[in-house]
Amino acid sequence: MTKLAVILGVPIALLATVASLGVVVVDVREGGPDGSRIVVPVPLVFAQAALAVAPAVAPADKLRIPDEALEHIGLAREILEALAKAPDGELVRVEERDELVVITKEGRSLRVRVSGERENVNVNVPLQLALQALPDEHGRIRTAALAGALAGVRFTDLVEVQDGNDHVRVWVW
Amino acid sequence: MRKSTLAGVGLLALSALPAATAQTGTAWLHVRVEEAKEASKVSVNLPMTVVEAVLKASPEIIEKHGKIHIGEEHGLKMADIRKAWKALAEAGDAELVTVESVEENVKVMRKGDLVQVFVDNKAKLGKDGKPVKGGEEVRVEVPVSLVDAFLSGEGEEGNFQAAVAELQKRRGDIVRVKDDDSNVRVWIDEQNTQSPAGK
Repeated sequence: MTKLAVILGVPIALLATVASLGVVVVDVREGGPDGSRIVVPVPLVFAQAALAVAPAVAPADKLRIPDEALEHIGLAREILEALAKAPDGELVRVEERDELVVITKEGRSLRVRVSGERENVNVNVPLQLALQALPDEHGRIRTAALAGALAGVRFTDLVEVQDGNDHVRVWVW
Repeated sequence: MRKSTLAGVGLLALSALPAATAQTGTAWLHVRVEEAKEASKVSVNLPMTVVEAVLKASPEIIEKHGKIHIGEEHGLKMADIRKAWKALAEAGDAELVTVESVEENVKVMRKGDLVQVFVDNKAKLGKDGKPVKGGEEVRVEVPVSLVDAFLSGEGEEGNFQAAVAELQKRRGDIVRVKDDDSNVRVWIDEQNTQSPAGK
């Protein structure tokens, strides 16, 4: 009885620990009668660990942005920082015959919504994550900082795409 | 019972309305472009703090320390512009420039705290006398204090930072352009959306 409790208890405790640290879930549902559903949960600690070791295993030039993009990083950082401090509101709305694009600032996130005749796309960009994703002054992507910022985006829907009957959702639990 | 519930929900919805188009106390720059042919409407609302950050961080446009050069590149010296502006300020309200031609009318005047620029491009007529291209109206209103702030720089530089700071205080229309197909409006207020009240 004790053995059974240990055999079942250890993996359950491990799963609970991993889940409590956060999980990125990719959920793909195909439409139609034969449509399949694929759910891929990736523990956040795995993603963070991969990002943390990336500089050691990946070639340095792969973790660097092109020089021509580097000159715009300062501007991007200024905009993101100013947006983070700015009050909430609708920043952009583009209404066309068959498409609507809305970008809003809600709390610490930018929300992009694209609604078309067939497609609906929702993207949530946590500003803190976007700031950490910006490279340093030498153009190097700061993977450790990015890994740290991932922990701050828990319980967030990152992407949701509805294309006809197909549905893709990525969220952090 | 049902009526009172509905009334309650209605009151709740009404109380939520002002929050949706909140007066934030922060200046917001609004741009609205409407094109009839394309059936498109584009609205951009940016807090002035973001506009300031964008302009500050654009080295191609703005020189270091928030100053831009106007002077000799355009055949004008900033000292002359400052002198002319000072003389205009002393003159008070006046029609500064009037151009009337077959194609367009241009009027620049100072009225109170504003410098107003009106450009009316007349409709182009074909050989048959019918309009080939519709007319165009441009209305620009620049606060006098904004020009004052911009010209407060030294040498051949305009003081861009002071101008942006002054713009933060402005409320109301800055630019309106209207032609036969499109409408463009740029204005500043304290609302975070382009509510009907702001139009």
